[in-house]
Amino acid sequence: MTVAVRSTRRAAPRKPSTQSMWRRELARGKSVLIGVIAAVVLVIIWYLLTLPGGLIQPLFLPPPQGVATQFITMLSEPYLGSTLWGHAIASLGVVLEAWALGGIIGIPLGIAVAWWKRARWIVWPLFQLIRPVPPLAWIPLAIVWLGIGDVARVAVVFVAALVPWVMNSIEAVRSIDPLLVSAARTLGASEPQILMRVVVRTGLPTILAGARIALGNAWTTLVAAEMLAATAGLGFVALNASRVLDLDTLLVAMGTIGILGAALSILISSAAQWIAPWAED
Amino acid sequence: MTQIKSASSTRNRSVRVASQPFVYGAVTLLCVLAAWFLATDVLHLVGSSFLPSPVTVIATLFGLTVQPFAGATLMGHLGLSLARWALGVGAGILLGVLLGIVLAWLPPVRAAVTPIFEVLRYIPPFAWVPIAVLWLGASMSAQALVVFIAAFPPCVINTQLGVSTVDPILTNAARTLGAPPMTILRRVVVPVAAPSIFTGARIAVSNGWMALVGAELIVGKEGLGFLIAQGQFNGDVAMIFVGIIVIGIVGTLIDFLIARAEVWTLPWKTDSK
Repeated sequence: MTVAVRSTRRAAPRKPSTQSMWRRELARGKSVLIGVIAAVVLVIIWYLLTLPGGLIQPLFLPPPQGVATQFITMLSEPYLGSTLWGHAIASLGVVLEAWALGGIIGIPLGIAVAWWKRARWIVWPLFQLIRPVPPLAWIPLAIVWLGIGDVARVAVVFVAALVPWVMNSIEAVRSIDPLLVSAARTLGASEPQILMRVVVRTGLPTILAGARIALGNAWTTLVAAEMLAATAGLGFVALNASRVLDLDTLLVAMGTIGILGAALSILISSAAQWIAPWAED
Repeated sequence: MTQIKSASSTRNRSVRVASQPFVYGAVTLLCVLAAWFLATDVLHLVGSSFLPSPVTVIATLFGLTVQPFAGATLMGHLGLSLARWALGVGAGILLGVLLGIVLAWLPPVRAAVTPIFEVLRYIPPFAWVPIAVLWLGASMSAQALVVFIAAFPPCVINTQLGVSTVDPILTNAARTLGAPPMTILRRVVVPVAAPSIFTGARIAVSNGWMALVGAELIVGKEGLGFLIAQGQFNGDVAMIFVGIIVIGIVGTLIDFLIARAEVWTLPWKTDSK
């Protein structure tokens, strides 16, 4: 996570080629078919292994139909205070609040640090002091200082989201073609004009990539924060279900965390596409 | 500091004195330290149960190195954490690179595995903590499993990316010259894909360290994460600080070492930062 800027690379598209053994591509339909079959086979194996008297005890891995039933039950019946919807909304609320706060503070901070030398000299050492510590390590301190309410969780998730926001804002300013800045200055643009009209616009795709990483980090960190200090939320449900050996509920919580994480990731990617369609990614 | 030089050079400002950034940095850090010291020890603005003085933190740090806490000294906890981390990251890199090569090499396997992998990847490592504990007990292996889950995906993704970007001309040339597939893999594909694999390993190493801290915080009977969790339960803020400081230093060291290892093993990779 600390090298988050790099991980934006992994989405680079593969160029289709039929030439080499390394690049052989299956037809798209065939590829989808194999994927679906593999998933179905996996669920069937899971079902067979967890049959009563099967190889795996339900205390180790519950049967798929048990998890599915529990999922449907939890949609309408409260578990630990609220339904699955309620817990999901509690988790999403904290994540979005902390993520937005990270952007509101992180973008100006990153641009300032990259643009003004003195800001950089003052902020950078402090930032470097905080950055290597995993955001999770702040959880106990946040609990001692802020209690186990929403504020502590927002603070910890905020720290997790802030780093990619700042790093990518810095990168956005750094990667601007000096020619553009010089041209704007030659044409008489003032410093704030250059910032708003040249720097922010050219750097937007990089900043949006930071937004995506920040959201992923925030979601990951929130799950851990909810296991340590919460009275609602999906991480809270997962840990409490495991304490009473309720594996059906635990798997429902894990699955919901995964689905919501994927949904957030897809949403922000499409939003980025919509805001900055000229981005390469 | 040098990383962001290009931004300032675009501005054609006057020549900088090389030592200036360090002076600013040092002054900033000293100011923070002085403010911390003043607020706690001199002016007593905040209680020690809220923010202990730097002196207390240093004393706690040294105290922990000689006096065992919960069965181990600071070094003992550090060693246990590092062992769990190394186990999980090692397994993650080994299996991740293997799976990455297989996925890039065999399209049918890729078609079968990728959807399942992509679905599971969205479950954060910490969500696996409760089930890892139920499966393996709150011992070394549960923590290592969580580290593994954090370290595995970046290795798979980056290896696959690296292998799939190997120029077909290279593999075709090797095949034309009579090299069997395993030789092509070892002599052509792996060297070309190595920088990408290393990037994956770097992400795996720092993700793994983060996952370890989280796993030890949530469940555990020893380790650095356990130390800060105990600090919280006992209201011992100085111990939380000691834990955070050690975790930060070790994390930085690990990252630095793997960056050096990258330069040392892959001298042909020119853009290594």
